[in-house]
Amino acid sequence: MAASVARAVRIASFGLDKLGVVVAALLGVGAALPFAVFRANRIVAGEAKPFFEALPPFSVALFALAVLAAAGVSLLRTSARLRLATAVAFAIAAAALIGIAADHLTPPGERYTRVAPGAGFWVLAFAGSILFADSVVRLKLGPLARVLALALGAAAFALALWSGVWSGLSILKEYATRADVFWREAGAHLILAVGSLAAAMAVGLPLGVLIARRKGLRAPALNTLNAIQTIPSIALFGILIGPLGWISVRVPGAAVLGVHGIGAAPAFLALFLYSLLPMAANTVIGLDHVPRDVVDAARGMGMTGRQRLFSVELPLALPVILTGVRIVLVQNIGLATIAALIGGGGFGVFVFAGLGQTAPDLILLGAVPTVLLAFAAAIVLDAAVELVTGARP
Amino acid sequence: MIAIEGLTKVYGSFAAVDDVSMTIEAGALTVIVGASGAGKSTLMRMVNRLVEPTSGRVLIDGEDAARLPVHELRRRIGYAIQNHGLFPHRTVAQNIATVPTLLGWDRSRIAARVDELLHLFQLDPAKFARRHPHELSGGEQQRVGVARALAAEPKLLLMDEPFGALDPLVRAKAQDDLKAIQRQLSTTILLVTHDMEEAIRLGDRIAVMDGGKLLQYAPPAEILVHPATPFIGALIGAGDRPFRLLSLETAAQEAEPGEAQGSVIAADADLRNVLAELLWSRRVAAPVAERDGRVIGRVTLARLIERAGTPT
Repeated sequence: MAASVARAVRIASFGLDKLGVVVAALLGVGAALPFAVFRANRIVAGEAKPFFEALPPFSVALFALAVLAAAGVSLLRTSARLRLATAVAFAIAAAALIGIAADHLTPPGERYTRVAPGAGFWVLAFAGSILFADSVVRLKLGPLARVLALALGAAAFALALWSGVWSGLSILKEYATRADVFWREAGAHLILAVGSLAAAMAVGLPLGVLIARRKGLRAPALNTLNAIQTIPSIALFGILIGPLGWISVRVPGAAVLGVHGIGAAPAFLALFLYSLLPMAANTVIGLDHVPRDVVDAARGMGMTGRQRLFSVELPLALPVILTGVRIVLVQNIGLATIAALIGGGGFGVFVFAGLGQTAPDLILLGAVPTVLLAFAAAIVLDAAVELVTGARP
Repeated sequence: MIAIEGLTKVYGSFAAVDDVSMTIEAGALTVIVGASGAGKSTLMRMVNRLVEPTSGRVLIDGEDAARLPVHELRRRIGYAIQNHGLFPHRTVAQNIATVPTLLGWDRSRIAARVDELLHLFQLDPAKFARRHPHELSGGEQQRVGVARALAAEPKLLLMDEPFGALDPLVRAKAQDDLKAIQRQLSTTILLVTHDMEEAIRLGDRIAVMDGGKLLQYAPPAEILVHPATPFIGALIGAGDRPFRLLSLETAAQEAEPGEAQGSVIAADADLRNVLAELLWSRRVAAPVAERDGRVIGRVTLARLIERAGTPT
């Protein structure tokens, strides 16, 4: 009796993992699609190379082993730890293999050929990241552990860049020819995204507090901010050219500070305006959700308005306000790419230059750091939200 | 002593509190009772100026409350409310320390006071001081709420439906504890409730309100025996009247010399419970004993019947 129950339990647990089926299917598709794309120079059409052509014989075996092992571990109901270890090992293998493919496909001494990751590589990367994210969720990693994992990932990424395994890849060849510009634009991108967030916090937080206190202001203020959000970014740039140009010419010192009709100033201002609604609205919602009894008790015990705001209401609204900061930061990191359209700098410079030259590698040089930056910001701020919420129900 | 003189609060054309005057004796537990919307909370909130009166005034020990800076006034008056209003992001100790901190007490004095209050409310400091409110039971939260209200040793404590969120067993215990603590600290308490039972159980004097007006202000026995209006009679409930009257006295007060059979009755048991015990055990008399076991006499059914009716 007991033995048959145990057997039934074993059979039931030896089923297929539902998400694992999706991951395994993606791994299959990724293996079938071209692993790398070879081009004689940076702008001609590419030649798709499946993994068995893109890699030397030993690496072909490694590739097959990595894909099969990852598919096997995802398909079966394995422990979250094993799934995480597999995802990490798979990521290391994929990172090494794409570097090897670049070296393998580039003829010795040839400077103009380009090797870029193919559709197969991106699908494999996608499958691997699903496996990774899923195992992290199953392990129920705490906020600090997730930030630590992010730091380890970033360190591994930096190590890979520094070691030169990827130096044969086209995106890094694009980087090599414009390294100094890259870091200048990276700085510009961060200043645009983080600076406009800081400005939006400086204005949006007090504005939110004011709106929460004066019910009459709520509808007009939030509707105005809402209306600003609906203006397309390009249109907003156009609208700002006039007033900023006027300020640049008429206000003493404005031009020296970099205020012009086009350039970084309107881009910064546009990002700032887009950020105001999430900041102010989340502050209002956060303050609205402070329990009434708590506010009543605070008043009844003789806290002044300021004491109530800073030691009771804002701390209790903090998780919702931080959620607003998260929305704004991730949104701004993405939106800052369009600043390049009006000469505002940032990673968008490479995206638009790449579009103009039909050089996909150059587009990637702008797009990949933007995506990684937004991803990292989301993880850090999610962890922060969880940390400040964690102390209470 | 608190003197309420012609206090009125008008919202638009609606008088929430309509020309109420009453005097609250120092050291007494005064209960304001009434249905919801009777104006009882509004009346209480005008004492610490959470609601500013339209007219009339409140004198606390002869001092006009309206003349004091509002935050200073509130810090001198304890305030406890129905859902306790504890700060969810602060520990029990930090919650209790709220008003002493606002008053700028030094740290060692605050720590000693928090410790003292936790002991007073039967909450082990080692276990409770560092917990957050959501880690406490409803009864514990309520006790911390009252401890917080008493932290700065106020002479006056305002309580708005403080036991409203508790289940009946915990509520009865909390009411007894409040009575005991009030006797110990001799704090003047003004308590608002919609529950006449609670008012009779706790109040030294009861103020009955309806439609913003004060209908009757008297000790519980007088309200039970001579309700000023039919509305108050209905609030008491004719069926419960004799039992409520009995509940105001203890066995010790009605004990007479003599012998009786069966289990003893505690001297501090209220007469309603004594009557229930006699009926249940089919006795006409029972011995009454102090806590130490010393029998001080007996209480008889005949005496209870006499006490339960209208005095003639």
